[in-house]
Amino acid sequence: MGWIKKALIALLSVFLLGGLAVWYLINENFEDTTLTKSSFTVNAQELINAFQDNDSLANSTYQEQLITVHGRITETEAADSTVNIKFVDPITGSYLIFAFQTQHVSDAKILAAGDSVAIKASCSGNIFSQLRKAHMISFKRAVLVEKFKT
Amino acid sequence: MKKAVLVFSLIVFANALFAQTKTTTSATVAFDATTALDALPKAENKTVIAEIDTQTGQIGFEAAVKNFTFSKPTIQAHFNEERWLNSNKYPAFTFMGKISEVTKYNFSNNGIYNVTVMGQLTIKDKTNFITTPATIEVKNGVLFATASFTIALADYGIQVGSSGKIAGEPKITVSAELK
Repeated sequence: MGWIKKALIALLSVFLLGGLAVWYLINENFEDTTLTKSSFTVNAQELINAFQDNDSLANSTYQEQLITVHGRITETEAADSTVNIKFVDPITGSYLIFAFQTQHVSDAKILAAGDSVAIKASCSGNIFSQLRKAHMISFKRAVLVEKFKT
Repeated sequence: MKKAVLVFSLIVFANALFAQTKTTTSATVAFDATTALDALPKAENKTVIAEIDTQTGQIGFEAAVKNFTFSKPTIQAHFNEERWLNSNKYPAFTFMGKISEVTKYNFSNNGIYNVTVMGQLTIKDKTNFITTPATIEVKNGVLFATASFTIALADYGIQVGSSGKIAGEPKITVSAELK
């Protein structure tokens, strides 16, 4: 009888642990970027330069980090039903590109080329584009921190 | 002088409107590996580089693997880890191909063109040939391209296991507004 009790307790524990794991996964979400502190605050051109000078070092420093980037928007670009924000190095064509967090897409839609802004986002690092012959440094879950008056 | 400026401006505008290479850095690629058992493994990347040469039919796409966004942090971490996409070692997906029989289409005219695209898709340094139908809508010099197809993850060295929680042949949906 004792072993049946032990087996039932073990089975119940497995179900409970499994249930907890499923509950955690279902309720786990990315936090709103506005509520999270950034690890770095940098100027857009300086960040592009860092990736152009040494992309391995820049990737190890900035990848998967929340970064606040200051700069003047070079371009806004339609992305499906949303808008991406870009800062482009005028000499090399390398660029930073920000895809906004779903609940903050409306902030991106009011921005235009020439606006001076601070944007916070998770850096996905850099790839060197064979099509554009330039570095693409992409960001996800972006939010607008501030739009400066010019 | 005014006439010269006007003519120059018109030439620049016409070139921009009818340039044969249309590009964007904000194409969207969605990845859907959901099954009846699990609705979580799906993601999208809205910062994909895309180019179409309307004369030669050459097409190119490049996507940063790490910029695919999932709703759940754990699933996103799994997607990037070594036994899946190993994005630290293989940071990009690429597709290089062309529109089949491109001379049949005149992309300088507004309209909807149903085309066939074929080319090489590279994921994790493994390249496979794919063919897919695609639609290109032309509106005043802007191309709106869409395509949807499936890929076999095993072809790219990715084993999904037998849990039934991840589709072995996820659906890939591509959309791009190219100027």
